Amino acid sequence: MQTSFIQKHLNILDYALSSLLRRKLKNGGIALIFSLVIFLLASFQFLTQSLETTAEKVLVFAPDITLQRLSAGRQVSLPDSSIGSLAGIFGIRQIIPRVWGYHFDEKNGANYTILGLPADSIQKAEVSLSHGRLPQKKKPGEVVISSSVRASLELGERKSFTLFRSDLSQASFTVVGIFTDNTDILTGDTILMNLQDARDLFRLGDGMVTDLAVSVTNPAETDTIAAKISGIMPDTRILTNSQIRKTYRTVFGWRSGFGSVCLLTALASFVILAWDKASGLSQEEKREIAILKFLGFQINDILALRFWESIAVACVSFLLGLTLAYIHVAFFEGSLFTPILLGWSVLRPSLNLDPAVTFADLLLVFSYSVLPYLAATIIPAWRSAVIRAETII
Amino acid sequence: MNIELENVCKIYNQGKANEVKALDAVSLSVEPQTMVCLRGASGSGKSTLLSIIGCVFPPTSGKASVAGKQISRLPARFLGLYRRQVIGFIFQKFNVLPELSVLDNITLPLLPLGISPAARRLRAEPLLDKLSISHRRNFPAGEISGGELQRVAIARALINDPPFLLADEPTAHLDSKLSLEFMEIVSDLKASGKTIVIASHDPLVTDHRNVDSVIDIHDGCIAH
Amino acid sequence: MLFNTWGLALSIISLCALFLIATASRTAIRVLRFWDPNSDSSTQIELESEIWLSSTLVMYGLGFQIISLLLFVLAADHFSGMIIGAMCATGSFLANSYGIPVLLIKIAGVFIYGIWIILHQLDIQSEHYPLIKIKYWYLVAILPYLLLEIILQTRYLAELSPEIITSCCAVFFGGKEQLGQNLLGTYSTTGLMAGFYSVAAVLCGLCLYQLSAKKLSAPINIGAGLTWILFFILSLVVITVVVSSYIYAMPYHHCPFCILKAEYHGLGYPIFLTLFLAVFSGISHIIAGFCNNLPGLAAPVRKLQTLSARCALAMLCIFVLLSSYHFWAYILFT
Repeated sequence: MQTSFIQKHLNILDYALSSLLRRKLKNGGIALIFSLVIFLLASFQFLTQSLETTAEKVLVFAPDITLQRLSAGRQVSLPDSSIGSLAGIFGIRQIIPRVWGYHFDEKNGANYTILGLPADSIQKAEVSLSHGRLPQKKKPGEVVISSSVRASLELGERKSFTLFRSDLSQASFTVVGIFTDNTDILTGDTILMNLQDARDLFRLGDGMVTDLAVSVTNPAETDTIAAKISGIMPDTRILTNSQIRKTYRTVFGWRSGFGSVCLLTALASFVILAWDKASGLSQEEKREIAILKFLGFQINDILALRFWESIAVACVSFLLGLTLAYIHVAFFEGSLFTPILLGWSVLRPSLNLDPAVTFADLLLVFSYSVLPYLAATIIPAWRSAVIRAETII
Repeated sequence: MNIELENVCKIYNQGKANEVKALDAVSLSVEPQTMVCLRGASGSGKSTLLSIIGCVFPPTSGKASVAGKQISRLPARFLGLYRRQVIGFIFQKFNVLPELSVLDNITLPLLPLGISPAARRLRAEPLLDKLSISHRRNFPAGEISGGELQRVAIARALINDPPFLLADEPTAHLDSKLSLEFMEIVSDLKASGKTIVIASHDPLVTDHRNVDSVIDIHDGCIAH
Repeated sequence: MLFNTWGLALSIISLCALFLIATASRTAIRVLRFWDPNSDSSTQIELESEIWLSSTLVMYGLGFQIISLLLFVLAADHFSGMIIGAMCATGSFLANSYGIPVLLIKIAGVFIYGIWIILHQLDIQSEHYPLIKIKYWYLVAILPYLLLEIILQTRYLAELSPEIITSCCAVFFGGKEQLGQNLLGTYSTTGLMAGFYSVAAVLCGLCLYQLSAKKLSAPINIGAGLTWILFFILSLVVITVVVSSYIYAMPYHHCPFCILKAEYHGLGYPIFLTLFLAVFSGISHIIAGFCNNLPGLAAPVRKLQTLSARCALAMLCIFVLLSSYHFWAYILFT
């Protein structure tokens, strides 16, 4: 009995496929539009997903706690002497004063991340170079750049270049090392230099830095230490690594949700279209169903036939839409949606997105595209299934 | 394997404004292995009668039994399940699906029974041979001649090996030569043990020598 | 978190399910009011075909419910990356008081739809449709249940507040991350496992008895049904408290949801699937037993009972093996 049940559905599936192929135009049109809708929804999901993962990769390198001073709600520089007031907190392993900012190079329109660290911290930093060495103490103007920065500066074999300070005077630098490409996600647009050189470039006063990077001995104590710091330096913004991570996820999640709400209109119109197409049966189709019913197909067999047809259309569209969305995000950086997700460029000026598609993502896209479509086709399918057999006599 | 109808009435659209009484207190019985003709003008109710015998829909009132089973109060689902076991039906307009091949058309009733493609082919082959249409088996049904189409329709009605074969105006779209050919085929089927009921007003059918009895229907009643 | 993609997807599925069940309920009410098997009126003919609409809708409803349950768990796991103090799905469910109730309602929903389908499958095999009234009263009752689920789910999502870095100065954000957040307190492992294995053994015996003997008396039937429900709850507790931490090889992580993750080879999927199938088959057997004496149902009931007893037995064995593997592997080999 079980084998004949399966065989029956195989038979009906087979018939459904041949019946779909007989009506290529109608079903192909539906599948195409459905693919487009799924493409839009899936692109969005993949884009947010890969932004999240990229953000996490970047944040692995971020300090446990970052301290910034706020004035009038804006970030301002702070003196590195404030390190002293934190010295008494137990559990802090290290505090590194940093100058961390962006430099817009008007010559070629590129945006570089400038990272200035004290010379002894640079030597201890866990960065790997493909060749050269790290900037040394008391050697002004020495920098490490990535190969992509070298390309954008059009250095070729030259070692030195200049950048404009804010007063349009020029600061000159000498390349002493190149980052490996492995850390491109982090160092792709970075120029690493001595703290003093970075202050000079940004015209920060002596002893001023943009933020303090605090690392702690025991990561589980991060929140406690952050609380203590906030007690000592009430005018600072204290960002912990995990909070930044959660914020990114929330913001991306919210943005993609907002985008999805907009895309839902596309889904809704598609569902209406699918309903309409499934309802509008031609005389030929009605006659075919009546013949099938006369020949012994029951209402549930016709419903199964329609079900398999819908599943086939949905599967083809789902696969097509997902593939296109993957290509869109992986190779075109989700360019259709960057205006909506604008702002992530604050994270990295340029990103190579690598959508890691998980089962959960697929199920998510499936449930807000395929399920509404299936739900929309049930009632029209039933209406067609109850066409009376005797209408052909 | 007989058919018994007792005081059968059929009212279409009961309880609505367009209510129509198609059959009024019809009683008849059909003996096994006979060929019976229902004769009447169009609109006389003979198609309705044939449909009730053919388990297409139940009568509104009265008793009907086909092959020993009471079908008068059977829900539509069970009527359909029973129909596909005991009834083979041949239509006036053949009602084949023109885009499917001859073989696929013939084996269509086997799909919901869960029979595999190979087994379906195996069951169709003897019928294709018997009705000499095996050379057409892979042709789309829309591209074969009227006579062949009629044979396809017969083969399809026989694929489940039902004890009853019902035909509704089977010769309406055939010339006299093909009509006679059709009658020869059904005569053979009768000889092989099938019970045959034909609704027709074609004299070539009603006056055929192998027809055992003719029942005249007029305005939903049996004329005596 | 309503306007997060996950929240949206959950809401969309729920709305689709509501649409399905509301449409089916319309048929249900019409059947309850107008069903008359002795009539040949147009209404009766329409109702006979509407039965198919309603049953198809409920079958889709079951499918939607299963997907929605799975998606709910996966969403909770995803939310844990945004919620204060949540480390995994457990934390998200505990983030407000609606999480766990919604989860339980969704789990029970799978059984509620499933049992309706069993009743329907039995009903349509008899020419008398003997269960038609019960079946449609039952269907009408599903609607408020579904509404309750949707309301609680919406409240859960709406009250789930994500952690956002605000721009005011010197704010200390959020609470601490807790490492060992658990659904249930600690129980004696030995006692639990002993109970688990003995109930499983009783049920195995029950299945074998059901396969050999023809009928069970009504009180035994009820007892058997209750044992299956007890087993389901006990299994969830055992998975949460004992089995999961052996799978994770982390003594303080007792979470029934993380076993679905790829890190643990998705072992949770077969575990939960076999558990659901075993309990569902077991309960189907009991329910079919009560329909035995209805007109025209003796043969279909016998067929269903044989199938369900076999299925329950097989699934039960696989479930017990799968869920105890890591536990015994640890006890015996380390």
